[in-house]
Amino acid sequence: MALFRPEDEEKVRELFDAVERTVELVVALGPEETPGHGARDIDFGAETVRVVEELAGLSEKVSHRVGEEAPRYPAVYVRPEGEEVGVRYDGLPWGYELSSIVGAVVEAGRRSSSLRPESLEALGRLDRDLAIDVFVTPT
Amino acid sequence: MLLAYKAALASPRIRATAIEANEFPVLAAEMDVWAVPRIVVDGAPQWDGSVPERVFVERILSATFG
Repeated sequence: MALFRPEDEEKVRELFDAVERTVELVVALGPEETPGHGARDIDFGAETVRVVEELAGLSEKVSHRVGEEAPRYPAVYVRPEGEEVGVRYDGLPWGYELSSIVGAVVEAGRRSSSLRPESLEALGRLDRDLAIDVFVTPT
Repeated sequence: MLLAYKAALASPRIRATAIEANEFPVLAAEMDVWAVPRIVVDGAPQWDGSVPERVFVERILSATFG
C-alpha cells in the first residue's frame, strides 16, 4: 500500500521542493530484526525503511540509508547535509506522525531557521545541553 | 513535535527526539504518558499538548534554568 494518498504525496512533493540543501534520513534497525507486536504482526523496522524510502523518492535532495546505532529501535535520524544534529524519531513514523518527519526534513533543508528571531535569540542564551523528548502517537 | 525539531536544528545544544509511545510502552509508563504530545526535558516530564512557539521556548528554557 502506498504511504501517501496521491493528493497528499503531491503536497509533500511541493514541501520538499523548498528544500535548499540535502537532507539524509538514516534508519537505525538495531542488532536484531524488530519483532512484530500483537495480531497485526508488523515488522516495524522494515516498515520504517519503507517510509524513508518513499520519502526520499519524493525529492532529489532527500536521501536515505540504513545503518546506525540508536538508544531504541527502529529510529530515524534526520541529518542536514549528512551532519548529526540531534534530530531523531524513535519508532515507526506513520499516520499523523508522518507530518513530523516531513516537517523535520523541510526544516533541516532550510539554510536558516524558521523560528522567530526572538526565539533564536533566547535559545542562543542556552549555556548547557538540553534533551527534549516528545512522546507522540500516530493517531 | 516540530517546534522541538526546529529548536534542535537551530541550537547545537539541543537534541530533540520524538518517541512513539505505543512502541515503547515501558519508557512511556516511566514518563507517565497519559496524553500526547507529552514534552520531557532532560528526563523530567514538563507538560502535555501543543503550545505556541513563544510559550514552547519559554517553557524549555525555564525547565533548564528553573
